[in-house]
Amino acid sequence: MRYLLQRLAFYLFTAWAAVTINFFIPRLIPGDPVQSLITKNQGTLSADAIQSLYVLFGLDKNESMVTQYFHYWAQLFRGDLGLSFTFFPTPVTEVLGDSLPWTIILVGITTIIGFLIGTALGVVAGWKRGSWVDGLLPVTTFLSSVPYFWLGLIALTLLAGPGSFFPSSGGYDPGLIPGWDPDFIGSAIQHSLLPAITILISSMGSWILGMRNMMVTVASEDYVTVAHAKGLPERRVAVGYAARNALLPSVSGFALALGFIVGGTLLVEIVFSYPGVGFELFQAVGSQDYPLMQGIFLIITLSVLVANLLADVAYLALDPRTRKAG
Amino acid sequence: MLNVGMPNGPQSENNNPFLETSAAANLGYRWTIYEPLVMLNRVKPQEPGKPWLAAKWDWSDNYKKLVLTIRDNVKFSDGQPMTAEDVAYTFGLLKDNKALNIDAVPYKDITPAGNQVTLGFDSSQFVNQVKILQTIVVPKHIWQGIKDPALDTIKNPVGTGPYTLKSFTPQTVIVSQRDGYWQEAPKVKEIRYTSYTDNNAQVSALASGAAEWSFVFIPNYKAVYTNKDPEHYKLWFPAQLAVHGLWFNTEKAPWNSAPLRQAISKVINRDDIFNQGEAGYFYPKNDQVTGIPTPAGDPFIAPQYQGQTVKVDVAAAKAQLTGAGFTFNGDKLQDPSGKPVTLKLTVPSGWSDYITDLEIIKDNLSQIGITATVDKMNQDAWTKSVDTGDFEGLMHWTNDGATPYDMYRDVMDGNRYKPTGQGNINGNYGRFKNDEATRALETYANAEDDASRTAAMATLQKIMIDQQPMIPTSAANSGGEYSTKNWTGWPEEANPYAPAQPTLRNALDIILHLKPAA
Repeated sequence: MRYLLQRLAFYLFTAWAAVTINFFIPRLIPGDPVQSLITKNQGTLSADAIQSLYVLFGLDKNESMVTQYFHYWAQLFRGDLGLSFTFFPTPVTEVLGDSLPWTIILVGITTIIGFLIGTALGVVAGWKRGSWVDGLLPVTTFLSSVPYFWLGLIALTLLAGPGSFFPSSGGYDPGLIPGWDPDFIGSAIQHSLLPAITILISSMGSWILGMRNMMVTVASEDYVTVAHAKGLPERRVAVGYAARNALLPSVSGFALALGFIVGGTLLVEIVFSYPGVGFELFQAVGSQDYPLMQGIFLIITLSVLVANLLADVAYLALDPRTRKAG
Repeated sequence: MLNVGMPNGPQSENNNPFLETSAAANLGYRWTIYEPLVMLNRVKPQEPGKPWLAAKWDWSDNYKKLVLTIRDNVKFSDGQPMTAEDVAYTFGLLKDNKALNIDAVPYKDITPAGNQVTLGFDSSQFVNQVKILQTIVVPKHIWQGIKDPALDTIKNPVGTGPYTLKSFTPQTVIVSQRDGYWQEAPKVKEIRYTSYTDNNAQVSALASGAAEWSFVFIPNYKAVYTNKDPEHYKLWFPAQLAVHGLWFNTEKAPWNSAPLRQAISKVINRDDIFNQGEAGYFYPKNDQVTGIPTPAGDPFIAPQYQGQTVKVDVAAAKAQLTGAGFTFNGDKLQDPSGKPVTLKLTVPSGWSDYITDLEIIKDNLSQIGITATVDKMNQDAWTKSVDTGDFEGLMHWTNDGATPYDMYRDVMDGNRYKPTGQGNINGNYGRFKNDEATRALETYANAEDDASRTAAMATLQKIMIDQQPMIPTSAANSGGEYSTKNWTGWPEEANPYAPAQPTLRNALDIILHLKPAA
């Protein structure tokens, strides 16, 4: 229990530090949202608009950074993330509500599938050393060491384009209205295939490798030998005795991977112009949209922290040794 | 059904017609719902404009008083009549909300009476005429109930226009025709606005015909767009009264030397910039000696400069430089103090057309012994360097307006001068200081009669030529790409009744002109 409280205190401190950094970093980037909007419009927005835009965005009050910082905390406690500048005056929560589901569904599903397939292959590879599965290892390791954006761009050039089954950008066909109808869901799946496949290819290697190596270690443990000696079926020894113990490090790795779902997708979404949080962050940085940037950073930080906490708890539950006071 | 596309990424629902950040502004559908008092054409700035919600308008007292006669029989889409009260209310809204008054027009007296609205100002509004006349009208009975109009996303927009909002998604917005529009109903029943995630997606949508109207930069437009269907796929990019060109910080030596700037103007190859940098269509070539884009600006050019263009003339440029005390050491240029002349050109990375323009300028400058470099930098850092004057040379734009006043003001208004290092500047990025120019700009804005205005405009043109505070290379455009496959009646060179851009007020005028292709 004391261990858990310690961890909790640690996470609270980390959360505070992260929010503070989230607040200051965007403000240290040169330029400001008004100048950035004027630049984006290249002369079609009159220079006279500058003053009215400062008033509109509420940047005319000359508040000191410290006052703004306390206001920000007050806002956070009310669950208010502020108004986005890019889509002014739409609340950040609404912008996030539009983009978050895309990221969570695409990357969440691929992370889970990647983990399941990768671990299963790792178990087989570790148990039956020298079989055909071992041949997969160099291939998957190679693919996961290829920079992701390169893999994505190659996939786009080779597979997508006019007339191809794979669309080159977007989350669904323009013109469709999101809803639970077959047209929209079909289109959304079609648009997510290419990004999903590339993520799977690049993430699977590490799961296979990690699982295989643990299996090899565990396979030589005494309890596995005992299980064999008892005459248990091969399958049961592999899954129930060896794999179960070999899984421990992968589980905590998986919990961390879940935390990176929101944050780790920037490249995927930029390469495929996918309407998720990563693409939104890219746009927000381009237009100095402090509130939107902060909102996205906050979600990324929180999800990583929560995932860490989950990993801790999962480990605690799975491995009795961590429960002993040290 | 008409398909309009813009390359602006996912949108969030925001139909506030006064906010430049709204989806309604990004995609342009605000102009199908809300209508202006007068429809003005940027391609022909001298034309008086078409009466729209205002049937008549009269300026008096040297543009300090405007009487608007409001059209009868106009109804909002919720069935309520539009009256002078609504017009006065809209002007009051702009006057009271600095955040909405994007053109910073100094509204003062606003008096509705019968079917007329009278506006009174403290100073002449000659140069603001267009901004006032093209104000859109919102319904008082709805807007007076809105707590903070600048913070409202107007989920259910009601205007006098022929369309109402039918559906909104982050990618697609549909507006459909309503009953009871005050003039002949448009042939287009429904317009679908799609926001494509980037330029590439937008261009392929144009090439496949999925988008029929857009405004997007297409490098190599012939291969990827018009050649796919040369009969129907068109683009038209007319010039408007704003320029793009090479700016210097005129406070930094040696760029404070007018002969040096003039000599540079004489070696820049504007044809190459147009054909290579701007893909042969995007920003029209601008080689008028006064920098005023033609043909839109023809009526403003003083008689002695009419038809005069800048031609590449390396010999004359060299002669001018040596005449001003510059010397050549071998083939390198030295300023009068003996220092070699080098020019650091800066540009945001990724602005491909500007980068090519600057590479061309760099080559051109080597002909007169100037070693130039093109530095690509982060866009925000670049914006900041423009704002504080921390640069030697760069490509930049000017504002546009109904007369060349706005662009000249951006280039040389001493009232907007701030010393190098000080930021928050509204124009005059080159830190140009010339009292004669500042006075001429003031005279142009406030003069009592046309003759003094014409004289002031001629003075400005003379200063532009003699001082060359910046070097215009291209005109700004207000164009668009469109397909005549399903709809005809688009504006074009032969019939320039409106700029072809789908996100300008004139988009409504264009939609009213469209007819189904036979």
